[in-house]
Amino acid sequence: MKMGGVCKIAVVCLFGFGLQGCSGERSALDPAGKEAEELAKLFWIMLSGAGIVWLFVLLATFAAVRFPSSTFAGIRPGLFIFISGVIFPTICLGGLLVHSLRLLPGARDAKADMIVKVSGEQWWWRVSYMSPGGEDVVSANEIRIPSDATVEFELTSPDIIHSFWIPVLGGKMDMIPGRTNHLRLHPEKAGVYRGVCAEYCGTSHALMGFPVVVQTQAEFDAWLKLEKSDAVPPGSPAAINGERLFMSTGCRACHTVRGTEARGQIGPDLTHFGGRKTVGAGILANTSANVEKWLRDTGKVKPAVRMPEFNMLHSGETRDLAAYLTGLK
Amino acid sequence: MTRETETGHNLWRMLAPLTIWALHFLACYVAAAILCAKYPQIADLSPLRHLIFLVTFLAVAGVAYIGFSTLRIWRYSLDGDLDYDHDTPEERHRFLAHVTLMLCALSVIGILYVAIPAAIIGSCR
Amino acid sequence: MSDIHQGQAHVQDAQTERLREVWKNPVGWRRFSEVNNSVIGHWYTATAFAFLIFAGGLALLMRAQLAVPDNDLVTAQLYNQLFTMHGTAMMFLFAVPVFEGVAILILPAMLGARDLPFPRLSAFGYWSFLIGGVFVCGSIFFNAAPTGGWFMYPPLTTDTRQSGIGADIWLLGLSFIEVSSIAAAVELIVGVLKFRAPGMNINLTPLYAWYVLVVAGMILFAFPPLIVGDYLMELQRAFDWPFFDPKRGGDPLLWQHLFWIFGHPEVYIIFLPSIALLAMIVPTFAQRPIVGYSWIVLSALGTGFLSFGLWVHHMFTTGLPSLSLGFFSAASEAVAIPTGAQIFVLIATLALGKVVSSTPLLFAAGALAIFVFGGLTGVMLALAPFDFQAHDTYFVVAHLHYTLFGGMIFPLLAGVYYYYPFATGQKLSDHAGRVAFWLMFVGFNATFLPMHFTGLRGMPRRVFTYPADVGWDWFNFISSVGALVFAAGFSVVLIDVLRPKKQKADLDGNPWNAGTLEWLAQRDESFGMRTIPIIRHRYPIWYQKNFVQDVREGRFYLPDAEDGRRESLVTSVLDAEPEQCARIPGPTFLTLFAAIFLGATFIFATYHWWISTLASAFLTLATILSWLWTGTGEIPEKQFRDIGLQRRVPLYRSGPASTGWWAMFITMTGDLTAFLSLMFCYFFYWTIHTDFPPGADGSGTYWLAGSACLVILAWTSTLLARRLNSAGYPTGFRSALYAGAALGILGVVAMLAGPWFSKMDPTANVYPATVWAIVIWVAVHTSVGVIMQAYCIARAYAGRLTARHDMEIWNVTLYWHFACFSAVVALATLVAFPNLT
Repeated sequence: MKMGGVCKIAVVCLFGFGLQGCSGERSALDPAGKEAEELAKLFWIMLSGAGIVWLFVLLATFAAVRFPSSTFAGIRPGLFIFISGVIFPTICLGGLLVHSLRLLPGARDAKADMIVKVSGEQWWWRVSYMSPGGEDVVSANEIRIPSDATVEFELTSPDIIHSFWIPVLGGKMDMIPGRTNHLRLHPEKAGVYRGVCAEYCGTSHALMGFPVVVQTQAEFDAWLKLEKSDAVPPGSPAAINGERLFMSTGCRACHTVRGTEARGQIGPDLTHFGGRKTVGAGILANTSANVEKWLRDTGKVKPAVRMPEFNMLHSGETRDLAAYLTGLK
Repeated sequence: MTRETETGHNLWRMLAPLTIWALHFLACYVAAAILCAKYPQIADLSPLRHLIFLVTFLAVAGVAYIGFSTLRIWRYSLDGDLDYDHDTPEERHRFLAHVTLMLCALSVIGILYVAIPAAIIGSCR
Repeated sequence: MSDIHQGQAHVQDAQTERLREVWKNPVGWRRFSEVNNSVIGHWYTATAFAFLIFAGGLALLMRAQLAVPDNDLVTAQLYNQLFTMHGTAMMFLFAVPVFEGVAILILPAMLGARDLPFPRLSAFGYWSFLIGGVFVCGSIFFNAAPTGGWFMYPPLTTDTRQSGIGADIWLLGLSFIEVSSIAAAVELIVGVLKFRAPGMNINLTPLYAWYVLVVAGMILFAFPPLIVGDYLMELQRAFDWPFFDPKRGGDPLLWQHLFWIFGHPEVYIIFLPSIALLAMIVPTFAQRPIVGYSWIVLSALGTGFLSFGLWVHHMFTTGLPSLSLGFFSAASEAVAIPTGAQIFVLIATLALGKVVSSTPLLFAAGALAIFVFGGLTGVMLALAPFDFQAHDTYFVVAHLHYTLFGGMIFPLLAGVYYYYPFATGQKLSDHAGRVAFWLMFVGFNATFLPMHFTGLRGMPRRVFTYPADVGWDWFNFISSVGALVFAAGFSVVLIDVLRPKKQKADLDGNPWNAGTLEWLAQRDESFGMRTIPIIRHRYPIWYQKNFVQDVREGRFYLPDAEDGRRESLVTSVLDAEPEQCARIPGPTFLTLFAAIFLGATFIFATYHWWISTLASAFLTLATILSWLWTGTGEIPEKQFRDIGLQRRVPLYRSGPASTGWWAMFITMTGDLTAFLSLMFCYFFYWTIHTDFPPGADGSGTYWLAGSACLVILAWTSTLLARRLNSAGYPTGFRSALYAGAALGILGVVAMLAGPWFSKMDPTANVYPATVWAIVIWVAVHTSVGVIMQAYCIARAYAGRLTARHDMEIWNVTLYWHFACFSAVVALATLVAFPNLT
């Protein structure tokens, strides 16, 4: 029985992978918020404990197989089973349980500093911020929040279950039709991160992400003020033609651009589309080329998406539309 | 070929501690679920928490009663023979008693674990 | 002296010859009428492994797609079918059926029985499983497989535009298989309780049998909630009853509750039978009895119970109150204790034994390493806050595969190596076994260990592709390579199992020098045990003197089949005292036909061909009735049978002393669980709505109250009929049954009239839909009760049910206890609850 060799390989694998870097803009082990930090800490504690228990079991098995039974003459089997199988786990698990229960929302009484409503759609995010004036500021497919504030997300969905997850900030919460769920997160480090839909929600579940921008309160306030304003009118001739196409080819039936006659509610609000980091809910960087690609090959970029492909437009028209959209800063 | 015949009674007694655990668990869950679904904004959960503590006390007492009454049958310490593999009514008796006793211990752990959340969590959030 | 010996040998040969004749397997195309446990067990196990290979192939396709980022090997739609079918087939078509198959194969020999109590039920279960499994799996070749995940969460799966016919195939195809699982559970419970060899007290019963008992019990309580979920969801899909539609008062979370009340115990239903195999294998290779037999029993029981208090840990992120999460988190931690204790029992046994190195033991050790690892990540996931992070990520994928490979695949393969000689008389290659083990062990860890990290790095489950720039590529690539290595290892096992082997002489039946009874069964004889022995020890082959020889020479009970009938012994539950000699039915095509018709019923319903559905349902009923008529309740030609060793036991028993009564009791326990799950739905809607029920007198109060009275009267008549029959009044008996049937029919009409005349529209809102669902459920049960009454009347006229031979009426009365109870609870709730709130 080559148990020893297996142990060694496994330990190297485990800790090698684990330590050498769980970095990244969406790693739960590289936290940028209070909740994620507590959970990452909990994970490391549990991992060390689990490692010790695992090694103990393997060594015990190895010894049991290798050494003659006389070696264990001094150990009473009942006692061995009782201590290692009952007493020890009861204490460890009880401790872990108490510690983890304190991290549940019901055991905290933090007040939320601001509320962000997010609705999970197939396969994008409808976002609205409560402005200081009280009215809602509607946006989509990107979350901006101030650091060092407790943000409460109000999560809903009109039809299919989704799950809202920003790994670097904390746990996830499902968005269930007919219910409103609440998730409180407390970002601490400014930066740009990623969030995803974690619950399987149909064909393009894999293509439902969003960038998360954590910024200072002042930056956030300035941004919110801008986001609340109407869209800027197009500047270049290309963009002016793009706006004309936007209004005439049917885009406005589904999309809203505030300050224009486009008031569709089916798709994402595009009032400040140009200021966002991605196209198609977190899947492509927001460049003109990608916007054109999205308009032409919508169904290839995101299978089964409800938006039709606008490939009846010739390439110049697509370029103008992209110029208009990316100009909506 | 005549042997003392065990009654089904002992088998049911063996399952009783786990059944008490299940009832306790259900009582805690159902009470909390109904209260929090009907009154999600309720501020003070202490009546519910006291109810859970009371139910927990009763459940532990019930299991303890079964445990002590089984202990009398068992008469055994940890350094004895754990196998109960003889073909005698006595051994069968002690086997059932040992299992019942250990299930009592497990049930008490389970019951106390389930009561811990009520001691820590104070709101319906 | 030698004459006496020779005489004895002649007698023995003649006995063996008669046994052989009675238990002869049908040949040629008649093989499909086979019901014997050894044949059905082989088929069952082999079919389950075929589905494993199918589902494993799907997994390899998925790993190929995910090997590199932004891959377009398969489309999103196909990928979603792949993971749905992978999970579905592994859980429903492999993990549970393989338990049933292996148990059917080895349990009778282990208990010292010649077969299970209801071999035809096993055959029926097998055919149902095969038909349903082929139907569900076949769908993927027509691009019609379900895409909703094996968990089938609505509203995605109730949206007919997005889920298509695949969802119906899933719901109806699997309901069919769930029925067959429950059939197997009934069979196995009665087998363990009543078919143990004389003297096999509960403290001498093999551990495998204990586990089978616990697991079959769990199936009985775990599957019914899912069947109710399927029932409600199919009603929504086919007729637009809004159980899960929030716009009309439904709630998608209700499905999640029903699914996971099934789904979590399911995990333990899979795990426990496999650890049971280890509990048989380890003592053999430690060459000593298991240390702490009672610890294993208590662990199995404890795990079985606690596993029903864990389901919400699959729903930690659905926004339930923290307090609820806390309860389930606590129970999920607690279940680790009995689970862990079993591991230490196995280690202690190895420590105190003289270990013989072998391939099964190697697999067992590998299983331990993997399972403990998966258990430890399970402890992490059971903590609700940590689960908020890890839920629905590859961390969970890694965890569940560690527990299932360590808790199921590796122990099962240990079992394959261990029991292969039992099943076929030949050993698998030790050398190939070692190669296979190391390939699989390394391949497995290479596949799933990196997934812990992809998960924590933010990779969600069920994604058909992922971007290149987020640090998941290498982990995924290693996983895909690992999957290939694992597949290579598995192929080695497969080739070894299937390759033609040189016919070696029978390995004395006991190649591992094991101590338990099953190694005495004669592999090449379909009667299995030469004689049904008296058991005095847990490891009779090791510790009972002259045991092997006495069994081989037929010195115990039932060494002969002088009446030309298949027979086995029924014994008492605790002490295994002989109570009856059971006549076991032989081959028949009826079970195959019943399964085909029932399958047709479900399949036609999938396509909404209602007339064909009804016709098939009618044929199913007719076939089952003729199966019961010809195969059960037979009045024996004599009252007592001499079973040898100067003992005579009755050939016929009825009521609680009969196995049929136990089977009915156990079936109805499962049925009652389903009913209570349905009532749970009613109260679930009540907790989440202020207008459920909408007000008093909504559903025809008087009709329903009247119906409840009629059902109670029908039940009373049935009870009276049984008394009259025992007291010897056949006319009174028949009149009471006629009255009971009439009252039952009136009761059904009245209960349907309630909501009908109140003009309740089940598509309008969840309240009328729930009322209708409950009423239909109860009406169907009452109607079945009426059919049973009619059956008893017919039996009485045919002279097959007499004052002495009355098991039918006992079982029917028992059915009516349950049916009446559920009707009264349901109708009282529907009548009274709207007035209370």
